[in-house]
Amino acid sequence: MNKRTMLLVVLLLAALGGGYVWKEFTRSASKADDLPVKETISAQDLMTAFTTDESAATARFVGITDQVVQVTGTIRAIDPAGKELTNIVLGTDDDLAAVLCEFAPEDVPADWRSGATVTVKGICTGMLMDVVLVRCTALE
Amino acid sequence: MNIPKNLPIALVFAPLAISAQERFATRSGEITFLSETPIENIAGDNRKATSVFDATTGAIEFAVLVKAFEFEKALMQEHFNENYMESNTFTKATFKGKVSGVGEDEMKKEGIYTVSVQGDLTIHGVTKPVTIPGTFTVDAAGALKAASDFMIKPEDYGIKIPGVVRKNIAEEIKVSVKLDYAKM
Repeated sequence: MNKRTMLLVVLLLAALGGGYVWKEFTRSASKADDLPVKETISAQDLMTAFTTDESAATARFVGITDQVVQVTGTIRAIDPAGKELTNIVLGTDDDLAAVLCEFAPEDVPADWRSGATVTVKGICTGMLMDVVLVRCTALE
Repeated sequence: MNIPKNLPIALVFAPLAISAQERFATRSGEITFLSETPIENIAGDNRKATSVFDATTGAIEFAVLVKAFEFEKALMQEHFNENYMESNTFTKATFKGKVSGVGEDEMKKEGIYTVSVQGDLTIHGVTKPVTIPGTFTVDAAGALKAASDFMIKPEDYGIKIPGVVRKNIAEEIKVSVKLDYAKM
């Protein structure tokens, strides 16, 4: 391999490496659709898991890296939170607790209404008053 | 003595009625933080904070899931959760304290009230006493909003910043809290 070829190879590798670093540096957080589903569960069972043993549920559903949980439940409310977010509230047996699913407004199907049974994929972040899923997508 | 037949029921519900008038809550409070350095600004945003405020006693609490903070870049989010906040171990940040500087009666009148909030702030499993300035805003319809900006030092809460990125992260982080309360 002569010097010119070697230089070209080095430049090509540097360009590829630089491109990878730039792509990684500017990468935005994954939506639920971009990741594999870790758990499939009903809204009620998800709430029960957290209220029974929050520590175990956190390890199972939240984990260390982002984990997608696929949740089926009945819509209790659709609450816009400003212009950038819409919360889909999936009901549980407890009127004061729910599974709160944070959507970009454009990702909420137009035909979703309170009382409808739906399935949501979201990244589980834990439980405060509600179990909270972020960066959600609808499973049609 | 003439006791109304329904008095026991009234006694049961009276505390609830009083409580319903004077306690406020939200489950969609916004907490943001900003680290500003000449190299880069890093901002995180969480719109799922829960908070309860008791206007009678001045007691206030809020909590936030650390993993629900969103960032512009995924790498910032991953470093925040895995390297600095260890959010799989320390899942929540909480504050529990008391508001002073405004009376219960004032809270029923339209206005903007400057307050001081003293309490315990727990981040990364470390609890520190803090005094936070803030405002409570009551609009004409009686809706209550609270806002506060304050600074924290990551090292005060046991958050270790590696030397290699020390200049990328401010020594003091600005935290902003916005809570739109609804009556309970």
